[in-house]
Amino acid sequence: MVYLRSEEHLARWLDANGWEPGTTITASQTNDLARAWWWTRLDPGWRPRAADESQAILEGLGLTGEFWALR
Amino acid sequence: MDAFDLDVRRHVYFSVVANGRPPTVTEAADALARGEEEVAGAYRRLHDAHALVLFPGTTDVWMANPFCFAPTPHRVTAGGRSWTGTCAWDVLGIPGALHADGLVESECACCGEALELEVVGGELARGRELLVHILVPARRWWDDIGFT
Repeated sequence: MVYLRSEEHLARWLDANGWEPGTTITASQTNDLARAWWWTRLDPGWRPRAADESQAILEGLGLTGEFWALR
Repeated sequence: MDAFDLDVRRHVYFSVVANGRPPTVTEAADALARGEEEVAGAYRRLHDAHALVLFPGTTDVWMANPFCFAPTPHRVTAGGRSWTGTCAWDVLGIPGALHADGLVESECACCGEALELEVVGGELARGRELLVHILVPARRWWDDIGFT
């Protein structure tokens, strides 16, 4: 998961590496996702999250569809 | 994941926050007053459960996500220390995990130009215009977590 300055840079990067596109989100969306995903990681009582709970985090941020399906 | 493995994991993460790096198996065994083989077994089980990532063929911690202990282009200053994130997502997860503001220094994957993003009060105050590209679909993220 990498940062790119613009759509033009994204297209150039994919082309240079011969990669098929995955999906693109904004840095703001990524920050919202990162905050939700990792918020409890240092909690003393941390327990592994069930896949359904992780999927719910993605869905809550509008990250839905086949690409975002964890299973 | 049993109680011992959770204790070992908690010790690893608390050591990361306190010292800026994960404990070796020897250090963790000393701190927890347990045998090295016992702790090494917990490290391996935590790796298998995706609760830690070990460098291949070792019991050295590569990632205690979102924290990473190998060089990457993604750095963040948060909570009074400079950290490395595995990827564009994880590096923003470090201020999230620390519940702190953060200044991310990274680069454009295409041209290598230096980029800065700043998290203030949980919001992205700088770098909002940047894009993040994810090549690998979610169900395959753990196929090669270092590439995802």
